[in-house]
Order: sequence, then structure tokens, then C-alpha cells
Amino acid sequence: MVGEIAGNYSTVVLMFGFAVAAMAPTLLISRMISPRKKSNPVKFLPMECGQVPSGEGRTHFMMQYYPYILMFVIFDVVAIFLYAWGSSLLELPKNATLPMMGFLGIIFGAMSFALYQSGRRRIW
Amino acid sequence: MSVIAPNFKLSGFIKAIINDAVWFLLIFSLIGFPLVMMVLFVIPMPVIDGELLTPFLAFTYLADPSRTLPIVQAFMTTDMFKIMAFPGFGFAALLAAGTIFLERKLLAKLQLRVGPFYCGKVEGILQLLGDGLKLISKEIIIPAKADKPIFWAAPVLFVASAAAFVALIPVAPGWVVADVDMGLLAVFAVIGFFPIVTILSAWSANSKFPFIGGIRALFQMVSFEIPLILSLLGVVMVTGTLNLSEIAASQSSFPWILFLPVGAIVFFITMLAELERIPFDLPEAESEIVAGWLTELSGMMYGLVQLGTYLKLYAFAALFVVLFLGGWNGPMVVPPFPMEIATEGIEIGPITAKIAGLPLFDQEMLNGIFWFVLKTVAVIIFILLPRGVFPRVRVDILLNLGWTKLIGLAFVNIFIALALVYAGVLGPGGLQ
Repeated sequence: MVGEIAGNYSTVVLMFGFAVAAMAPTLLISRMISPRKKSNPVKFLPMECGQVPSGEGRTHFMMQYYPYILMFVIFDVVAIFLYAWGSSLLELPKNATLPMMGFLGIIFGAMSFALYQSGRRRIW
Repeated sequence: MSVIAPNFKLSGFIKAIINDAVWFLLIFSLIGFPLVMMVLFVIPMPVIDGELLTPFLAFTYLADPSRTLPIVQAFMTTDMFKIMAFPGFGFAALLAAGTIFLERKLLAKLQLRVGPFYCGKVEGILQLLGDGLKLISKEIIIPAKADKPIFWAAPVLFVASAAAFVALIPVAPGWVVADVDMGLLAVFAVIGFFPIVTILSAWSANSKFPFIGGIRALFQMVSFEIPLILSLLGVVMVTGTLNLSEIAASQSSFPWILFLPVGAIVFFITMLAELERIPFDLPEAESEIVAGWLTELSGMMYGLVQLGTYLKLYAFAALFVVLFLGGWNGPMVVPPFPMEIATEGIEIGPITAKIAGLPLFDQEMLNGIFWFVLKTVAVIIFILLPRGVFPRVRVDILLNLGWTKLIGLAFVNIFIALALVYAGVLGPGGLQ
């Protein structure tokens, strides 16, 4: 039974595999037919608008707005939880909506508190 | 290049062609033909006209054109056809290619230019072919110290993720690659792959511009995923299902955009952000960070990423059509197939040709495809239009928009849906 449900998704994986199998040859063909001129010192340098690149390409980078990522981790899961309720709303009794309203209130309150903090403190 | 080939000789050209043909025939007859026979013996063959199709019969049928339609019909119901051709990759890639051409022409008209004009004589219709040939014949340059396996794999994975997204879109009744009960959740799962592929490609390039672009793409896709998820909850609440085919079928009387316009607007804006289109094209901001995370991609790698981007655009537009505009539903405009051709055959003078296997497509499928493609192209044009009109927004404005205004509107949409269900307008006992 579980295998049958999982088997429905096999076509998605097949489609993924087909795209890989169909698109990888274009890179190979391109590699085969395209000219490959001799190397010179600046050919393989990373793009830096004509300058000789300074420093490492993968450096420490000041990732501003980092808390949005943290908020995403929490609220993405919460938003998916809402689907369990939303998809069965028509079968549920009406008094089941009240706890959900509380849940929505908690999400909304938490989210607005996080956004308020992000605006108030300049640490993010 | 002014001269195509300075040392061109016709005899040499013909010789080269004959040489290639001989090699092709040799390799095909030694490897390809046995391979086809082996594959035909292994795969399960369909039953046609009451007899099992053996490889021998299949070749006989192929030689007789009037008997090939049953084979085509049997092939059209297989998963392989769905994946490769119709609701899957081929159809989506065709629409994606059309979108690229449409975008270039439309943008040119908006900016009082001509756009592609010379390639293919008629309005530059062969421009895409020329671009494809150009991209495939250019050298792929990989920056020094790049993480090569990931850098090579990222464009292919990007196209493959977009293809997996396309697989979940129902095009006509019964014509969907993967008809799964949790279709919408599967869509969210597939959308989650794009930031990963983007950041992998950006990180592996060992260059600063792709890195900055990749981080911007990550922020953008991540912060717009929550309004995206919340804005579609209203549709799920009023239909009570997550299956995309059932959601499309539930809109036979009216599209959900009439009842949930707020959700549709929020979804459209988040769609623009997820697709990295103007006004939210910060990851590819060409006047700030060269080409964003595409900077180091060259030749066919760039072409693949473009293909993936436009496949994704088609898939998002199709998702909008399925969820809000009624999918394949529409008035019947396709005329019915004249059944006397199937029963009595076609009379051409003294000859009566009776062709087995007609009609190849049923009327509902053609009608469904017609309306679906019409609506999808309309949505695609709406996605393309802002590019000619709007400037780019700043990154903090973008995040502020996504996290405060759009999430607030998505909550409003949830309450509208809840009110519609509890007031008895929609759901059991309501309209429909």
C-alpha cells in the first residue's frame, strides 16, 4: 500500500532522469564540436570585469538579512502544517476551526514579533 | 567571419557526406538495429486488434502506413510517451522555446525596437535555432579552481528540476505525467530544489559575482516561498483536495480567481519573484553584478540554464492556470470527429481507404489542450510584460514586501476562503 503510493511518484523521478539523460549529451556534444583554443594566463581567471581578481572567490561574506533564513526554517514547516487542516476542512466539524484560529494567531503573533525585532534592533 | 570556408571544394564536401553516411549505416546496422530488436523483445508489447504485438508484427505494421495508427495509439498511453512528448518534456520545451521568441519580440515592440528580424526571413522566426547552434558551438570555459563536478552538473540539474515540476502539471483530463494525490505538496517540494541548485552552481564557480548572485537568489526564493505556500491554501480549502487534476476539474463552472482574487494576486507576485523576473531580478541584476549567478556559465551551460528557466516559467504559468483560471475547462470549440470516416472509410474517387485506429485524439482532449494552452500563453504574456515596464526593486524592499505585505495578504486570503466555506457559498451544499 505504501509502496503503491510511493510508486505514483516514480514518474516524477523518471521525468527528472529523462531530463538529465537528454540534456547531458548536449554538454558532451558541445564539448566535442566546440573549438578549444590554447590556454593563456588570463583565460581561466574568474570574471571580475577585466581586473585581475584579488583574493579568494569563496570568501567569508557578510550575509545580511540572515534572520529571514532562520524565520523561513520555522514558518515553512508551520505553513505546510496548515495544509493538513486546509485539505480536510470540508470534512471537519465546525468547532475544529477554533483551535486552528488559535494556531493561526500564534503564527501571526510570532511572525510579527520577529519582524518587529528585526526592525528595532540593527544587529541583523 | 566573412568567408565561410576559404578552401571549400564541392567534391570534398560530397565525399565527407558519403563518408559520414557510410559510417552511420555501419554503426546503426551493427549496434543500433540489434539494440532496437533487443529492446523490443524485452519491453511489454500492447495488444492490438485482439492479437499481441510481436516485434515482427510491429515492423510489418510500420511498413504499412494504414496500420500504424493502432501502434501510435498504443504508444500514446505509455508513460514513456507522456514523459518524453506530450504533457511532459517535449511539449513544455516547445512552449518554453515559443516563450523565448515571444519575449524577445514583445519586449522589442514595447521598447520601439524591431527585435529578431533577419534569421529565417519571416520576422526572425529561426532566431532560436541560430542561438542554439551558436551556444552549442561555443567553447565551455570553466574558471580556475572551480569545483568541476558540481559546476558541470548544476545546469543539468536545473533543467531536470524544472522538468520534474512540469511532470506534475495536468494539461487535459487524464493527461498528466504524474497524477499524485499530494500534487500540490509535491510541487512545493520540487520548488525547494531550485535554490539548492542555484547556490551549488554559485558556490562551485569560485568567483565573486556568482557567489553574490547565488546568495541573493537563495534569499529571494526562500523568503517568497512562505507567501507562495500560504496563498494557495485558500484554493485547497475550498476544493478539499491536493490533487491538481481534481482541483482543475472542480472549476468546471467558474474559476477560483472569481472568489479568491487576493490569493491569485499574491501568487502572481511570488511567482515573479521565484522566477527571478523583473521587478524581482536581483539574482541576475546585470547592471550591478554582471549576470549574477550565471556569470561564469558559458556556451551550452548557459543555454541549459536558460532552457530550465523558461521551463520553470511555463510550469509556474500552468500552475496558475490550473489553480485559479480553471485549467482545461472551457466551452467546447473543437468540432466532433466525423465518425463515418472511422466506420466506413474515406472515399477518394474509386478507392475507399479504411484506416484503423481513428480517431487518434478525442474531442475533449483537444478542447482541453486548446483552452489550457490559450490560458497559459495569456498568463505567460502577463509574466513577460513587467519586464518592459518596471525598474528593479532594492533587496530590503523585496524582503520587506515578501515578509510583511504578501504574508499579510495571504492570511487575508485564508480568511476569505474560510468565510466562503462557512457562509455556504462554496463547498458541500454551495455553488457547483
